[in-house]
Amino acid sequence: MSMISPSPSHRFLPAVWKLIRLRLQISFNGFKHASTIRKILTIVAGFGLLVFAGTILFLSWILLDFLRSPELRQYLGMDVSPFLQAMPVLIFTSLFLGILLSSFGVLLQALYLSGDMDFLLSAPVPIRAVFLSKLLQAVLPNFGLIGLFGLPLLFGLGLAGHYNLLFYPLVLLTMIAMVLAAAGLSALLVMLVVRLFPARREAEILGFIGAILIFTCSQAGNLFNSFGRSTDLSGAQVSNMFSLLMRFNTPWLPLNWAGQGLVALGEGRWLTGTLLVMLTLGLSAAAFMFALATAERLYYSGWAGMQVVARKKKPLRTIQAGVHGETSRPLTTSRAIPVVWLRRLLPSPVWGIVWKDFLLLRRDLRNLSQLISPLIFGVIYSLMLFRTGGQPPPGQGQAPDWFMNSFHSLLAYGNVGMSLFVGWWLLGRLSGMAFSSEGRNYWMLKAAPVRAGHLLTAKFVVAYLPTLAMGLFFLTGISFVQKIPLAGYLYSLVAVAMCLAGMNGILLAFGVLGANFKWEDPRKMSSGNLGCLGQFLAMLYLPLSFGMFIGPLWLIPAFNGPQVYGYLAGFILGVGLTGTCALLPPWLVRVKVERLGDA
Amino acid sequence: MPEAILIETHNLLKRYGDKMAVNNVSLAVHGGEVFGFLGPNGAGKTTTIKMIVGLLQPSSGKVTVAGYDVQTQPLLAKASSGYVPDTPNLYAKLTGRELLRFVGDLYDLDRKQAAQRTDELLRMFDLTAAADDTVDSYSHGMQQKTALASALMHDPKVLVLDEPTVGLDPKSARLIKDILRQMAERGAAVFLSTHILEIAERMCDRIGIINKGELVAVGTMNELRSLGKAGEVSLEDIFLGLTGGAEEAEIAGILK
Repeated sequence: MSMISPSPSHRFLPAVWKLIRLRLQISFNGFKHASTIRKILTIVAGFGLLVFAGTILFLSWILLDFLRSPELRQYLGMDVSPFLQAMPVLIFTSLFLGILLSSFGVLLQALYLSGDMDFLLSAPVPIRAVFLSKLLQAVLPNFGLIGLFGLPLLFGLGLAGHYNLLFYPLVLLTMIAMVLAAAGLSALLVMLVVRLFPARREAEILGFIGAILIFTCSQAGNLFNSFGRSTDLSGAQVSNMFSLLMRFNTPWLPLNWAGQGLVALGEGRWLTGTLLVMLTLGLSAAAFMFALATAERLYYSGWAGMQVVARKKKPLRTIQAGVHGETSRPLTTSRAIPVVWLRRLLPSPVWGIVWKDFLLLRRDLRNLSQLISPLIFGVIYSLMLFRTGGQPPPGQGQAPDWFMNSFHSLLAYGNVGMSLFVGWWLLGRLSGMAFSSEGRNYWMLKAAPVRAGHLLTAKFVVAYLPTLAMGLFFLTGISFVQKIPLAGYLYSLVAVAMCLAGMNGILLAFGVLGANFKWEDPRKMSSGNLGCLGQFLAMLYLPLSFGMFIGPLWLIPAFNGPQVYGYLAGFILGVGLTGTCALLPPWLVRVKVERLGDA
Repeated sequence: MPEAILIETHNLLKRYGDKMAVNNVSLAVHGGEVFGFLGPNGAGKTTTIKMIVGLLQPSSGKVTVAGYDVQTQPLLAKASSGYVPDTPNLYAKLTGRELLRFVGDLYDLDRKQAAQRTDELLRMFDLTAAADDTVDSYSHGMQQKTALASALMHDPKVLVLDEPTVGLDPKSARLIKDILRQMAERGAAVFLSTHILEIAERMCDRIGIINKGELVAVGTMNELRSLGKAGEVSLEDIFLGLTGGAEEAEIAGILK
């Protein structure tokens, strides 16, 4: 019997190339087997990026040239050249810090949580090669994104400043060196943290914090604006900003050496430029080599440590206790009453699914980050509402009373519409993804004797209860601020509860039609266009259903009819429409539920 | 006299586009019987099993479980059966105890009875110490045992298992074999697919062999021996004779 003796890939660089070539092959195969439309879109997107980079290059060239003009210097009364010289320093510092911070999450995923680690580490490939290929694979998208903006800006600066030709390749070389150094240091941080905390939990927490931070920051601007912070910049502020940026351009910070050296080389100050650029390249190489050498030890031991799963006892603080049997710990009375009430009200399988879904929503941080965004949105906009008091502008006081009253109502109910919008957002996740969120676990429900109607009811309840609670919470707060009369408040309660129920029905039905159980990452839960269509239709339904409730409240008084008729007509029309939307779409898809998960 | 038929497939057929995954499979499993379902990779074992437990709709043909048609009376059929898949995808963020209680709710068990049964099963599968840990911290074997425990929660008349012993240590594998035998002795029908011929030979009262979607042999060990060529005494010989002679020769050639 002949034996084939494989030669181990002990040589470092060929092994790295083999691993990178594998990645390229996978990407190429993905493109090759994609649909024609996707191929065309990919090519168009590639050209679009090139055009985008070209546009930035052109604009920065023109703008920076303009900033150097004597006319502008005369107009501003200051010389902006030092600021222009500080620009590369800012770009390189942002690049380094950006890669250092943004790479933590992707490196954690690539180095410890990717599915091919068993395969790679059992192959005769040096661990350093695995580390480097994973590092490059993780960092390239971020580098591409930063480079897309940074490179054209720097080249534009070079063109505007008539820098010599050596400037351009050195910009690229320095950028690559600093990216590798930042990524190496970030990887070191990841490897150290993984030794202390489990990688998977770390990724969950990181994703949660990242999502919350991004969303809060994106909405914070609106809040500041509502509190009267002006975003207009005066000439003095611009001047202050320039001087602050220039103060940042100190020669003592190693991060600044790259930018300063490149500008010096571009301007022909060879000695300073060469020294600073060489120092940057040397330090970057040292940092990267240190990371690479340390990875040999830290990476493998960290990864190996992950394979030994240490289980920790978690105290059960559960809603299942007291409703599941005598052996469980008792609940406090305040919590037990609604839970027990719900337990008695719902059939056993429905209760089981509701209870299970609430536990999973609470425990999986990946779900929680998606659910908390609407809550932050609601809180920020409620604060803005508190600020304005929700009163209509008085104008010149010539408008008739009925118009002002109707306008006040519209504003009041319009703000209720905001809480419905938050509800729409939350339901998009809870209801639209109610079935998809089961993922590969769906077989348990499918193999169990659970009616389609029970399954739909359970998913309806899971989506509806938190949304209703949040909608009513906002409504109560807004009504309190706007001093809405009790009757109006109660009417709004019914309107919000029913509008949300109708929306829940629509989104749930579309969630069934577009259910996708084959996902690993919850962000990829939604597939196809049906989910988007459901969201779109629910968005159209929102003003329509709400209009049914509040339309008659304006129309009937406008025609001198009694207000109570307005309430009555609104109630009948609104409940009719929303009730139909709550029940009919799920009823229509019940047959589809029975066939879900057939594979 | 044999007990009632608890699993019956009649001309079961499943087609994926042009590919025939299962072709006219007809078989019957009685109560008190352990039925082994063997076949090479891709022969149609898992597809057949999924149709029996109602996870997959047949292209044509009929399946009855405990006398109920899986297509027309799915709830009654599912209430009578327990299923353990080849890959135990369980809710990762539930604890073992919570998972079993959830299954108790799905099968509409009485609360006290479910709690008692949960404790019994956890003890039986040696999972009590890990009962309050989330499933994502379990090893593959523990997840497999949890899946089996959840299939046994409602004490089903029919138990269907797809590769139940994969990834289990010898002690757990032995435990599962004992449990399956006890289930059969109490009158349940046990239908299991396996690649481990030794398990099939020792445990199963009857064996079905599927190849390329078609049921090529069904019977007791003695009946299968009589089907094979002279000298084929072990199940391995019979299995290879019925399903993989050509491939076997090819592999031997490569290894020469």
